[in-house]
Amino acid sequence: MANEPTKPSAPDGTAAQYRSHATPPDSGTLRQVAAFAAGAPFTALVAAVEVAVVTAALGVPLSTAPVAVGLVAFAVYAADHVADAEGDAGSTPARARIALRYADQLMVAAAVSYGSAVALAAGAGPAALALVLVPGAVWIGYATDWLPAAGAFVAPLDEISVPRLKDVFLLNSAAVALAWAVAVVAAPLAFAGVPVDSVGAPAVALLFAYVFARSFVDVEVPNVRDVAADAAQGVATLPVAYGVTGTRRILLGVDAVAAGLLAAAAATGGGWSPALVALGVGLAVSVTVTALAGRLRGAALGVAPDCSYLVAGAALLALAL
Amino acid sequence: MTALSPLSVTLLVAVTVGLAAAILAWRERPEPGATWLAVLLAGQVWWATFLVFELEAATLPAKALWYDVQWLGVVVIPVGWLFFALAYTGYDRYVTPFSVAVVSIVPAATVAVAAAGDPGNLLAVDRVVRETAVGTFLDVVPGPLYYVIAGYTYLLGAVGSIPLIQLVRDDARPFRGQSAALLVGTAAPWGGSVAYLSGAIPIPGLDPTPLVFVISGVGYLLALSRFRLLTLAPAPRRRARQLVFEQLHDPVFVVGTEGLLVDLNESSAETFGVDRREAIGQSASAVVPKYDAVSGLDAEGDKPRAVPIVGRDGRRPYEATVRDVVDDHGRTTARVITYHDVGAYLGQQQRLNVLNRVFRHDVRTETNLIQGYAEQLRSDPTDERALSVIEKSAGRMLELSERTRTAGELFDPTEESESAPLTDVVDEAVAEARAVAPDARIEVGRVAAVPVPAVLEVVLGNLCTNAVGHNDADAPWMRIDAAVADGWVEVTVADDGPGIDPAEYDVLDRGTETPLRHGSGIGLWIVKWGVDHLGGRISFDEREPTGTIVTVCVPVDRSETPGADPDGEPPNLPLDDSATADESASLGPPPNAGR
Repeated sequence: MANEPTKPSAPDGTAAQYRSHATPPDSGTLRQVAAFAAGAPFTALVAAVEVAVVTAALGVPLSTAPVAVGLVAFAVYAADHVADAEGDAGSTPARARIALRYADQLMVAAAVSYGSAVALAAGAGPAALALVLVPGAVWIGYATDWLPAAGAFVAPLDEISVPRLKDVFLLNSAAVALAWAVAVVAAPLAFAGVPVDSVGAPAVALLFAYVFARSFVDVEVPNVRDVAADAAQGVATLPVAYGVTGTRRILLGVDAVAAGLLAAAAATGGGWSPALVALGVGLAVSVTVTALAGRLRGAALGVAPDCSYLVAGAALLALAL
Repeated sequence: MTALSPLSVTLLVAVTVGLAAAILAWRERPEPGATWLAVLLAGQVWWATFLVFELEAATLPAKALWYDVQWLGVVVIPVGWLFFALAYTGYDRYVTPFSVAVVSIVPAATVAVAAAGDPGNLLAVDRVVRETAVGTFLDVVPGPLYYVIAGYTYLLGAVGSIPLIQLVRDDARPFRGQSAALLVGTAAPWGGSVAYLSGAIPIPGLDPTPLVFVISGVGYLLALSRFRLLTLAPAPRRRARQLVFEQLHDPVFVVGTEGLLVDLNESSAETFGVDRREAIGQSASAVVPKYDAVSGLDAEGDKPRAVPIVGRDGRRPYEATVRDVVDDHGRTTARVITYHDVGAYLGQQQRLNVLNRVFRHDVRTETNLIQGYAEQLRSDPTDERALSVIEKSAGRMLELSERTRTAGELFDPTEESESAPLTDVVDEAVAEARAVAPDARIEVGRVAAVPVPAVLEVVLGNLCTNAVGHNDADAPWMRIDAAVADGWVEVTVADDGPGIDPAEYDVLDRGTETPLRHGSGIGLWIVKWGVDHLGGRISFDEREPTGTIVTVCVPVDRSETPGADPDGEPPNLPLDDSATADESASLGPPPNAGR
């Protein structure tokens, strides 16, 4: 009946459709937040913890290095996720959707984050500043077309073809691992203003090699998940070249080398300090994750390798307390 | 790590904001000005960063080193600002490698002097460390080069601000906001610099310029995010407006208040065969077609009127409109004269008018005739005369129908204009005439073998069939001649018939028919429309002792002329007074100035 008045259904005379009601939590929004947090913020947290653990392992005073490296990591990875959002749609659809939808906001956050990191580094001195600029420079070469454009400028007749660093087999992962190793090991020293000699060059070199090896593994393990997308985009990775089983064997070998480096560091530094023990616990987690590569599915394989550092950080805290 | 001074903390905030803005600007490449804004902001970040190092350094040599390093950022800022402002506001033609190199000479020399350790104390006559309440500064007594680069910085800053100040008054709100934010971002460091150089800062050695980069960076960030700087840049507007002027189909001339030609668009040059470089600066009456006639039009009130002008497409009617160009003070600085080709429009009007008359008068008359004689046949079925009249009337209606269809096909806009040799066109027309009057004596004079538009065949076919068809002589005579001169084909059709009633071509002259003054068919109209369509002329003369001479002038078809200008440009003929008085100029005037 079209003309029937709306009957009040409550003592205050309001009808149901006019009363305010609480909106149930949107599971889609929660998923989006989770997907975002599992991206650049998670990487930033891991980077900060990693630097804090290495700071302890080096025995240098705590500085703003973990915060600065965390900010740089957030900036670099957030910008990279935006730049490669379309390509990542196959491997990490939730993160790619966020990167596409909030590209401008993410880029503003990344820019402010990197600016803050540079400001912190400038406050810590020239060495820290130079160090913080390294990941940014590597990222420019890694993810943008700057290198091919420069190559085309130098060799306009296509005599030399300079590809994106991201597309060069092994060098891509090695470049990322190198940037991580430089940042994670050198940052505590540079930000605290401690020269290498006072810590001991062998200990620094061994920790540097350890972080490089571990970072290489951390970069290649998620490539097992991304193998189809990388193959489609023509990005050469270990899983693309040697298959999942071959990759697992290679990465376990690299983890074994990392274990050896850790043992050497303990021998050189006069025993297993709590920090080295914590790193050893993290390495054990990494070996487990590497052994499960190809069996873990979806986002788990993307974050599992980096979780080893969080475990290491937790172990260090537990040992310190 | 020692605690930073409050000034260093402020500078680090400027570094954060400035670097974030620089990254966002860099990301917007290749938007106009993006690269140069990033350069400008990178210069600010550089300056502020190394000032922190200078402030935190403990010794004079260390402070002096970081002071010298700052010069790179100091000199980059005005260069970035100037070229950003030019590129962003659409003056990108001034942003060339050469101009960048020239503008960078003084900054590069300054950096070179600083890198060389300031030989001869060109940048700083004296440097001493001052302990103050807010920090330890390097107090510098400026040298001569310091003042040179300072003046140079203000100069570049002022030049770059001019186009942005213009935008502040723009109608578009986003551009007003952008330019205001940019000017605030630039004015703040200027203010700091002026305060420092004038000695208004009470703390010796403190140059507040890098400190106010915080304001500057916030201004740029605001412009980038809130006002969509770079993603909504005004740079394309200048080129878009220029493009509209250049690509406008209608010819446009801009005439200054002194009667000299200031500008003209591409269509003007092509349509009227004008050399743009030669024409600009010349007297408008020597270049602008029918200038004396159109310059008298009132820019405000007068209705545009059609004037016949000979151009690339022959003789076409153009509607001229005049608009004043008025500056901000209400003064007229120039007049814009636009020519709009209304040939197609006028032709449609005429065809509608004539076809209306055909239905309203001719068809009705013939129908009445048929009805009347049909009645007569009903009463006397043996009346052969009535039968004959009906047959003739029906024949005329059929012919009228055929010609109407011809008129429709002649101006079908979907048909591509074809070209044919003049000899073939004349042969076709003569063949049509022979079909109408097999006994006619038809002479064909000398016919030049030049390409002409195929539509001319319809024109000549109508004229030839009229010449022998509407001829009461026992053996009708006609002659056709065709000559070529100055890019025009002049075809003459002469006959010994009774002549055309002057009222017929008087109607053609006026271009419109009225219920009382109209033609007797549509044959002559088809001829006129065809000639108009081809940009030509037609004239009628009496022949002695009897008959008519019809002369048709149409342009030679240039699209297939061997040896024609490879650019398809009509030849540039000199514009003398006689030409501009009546017509100008890609073609010479037709040989016969008839209707």
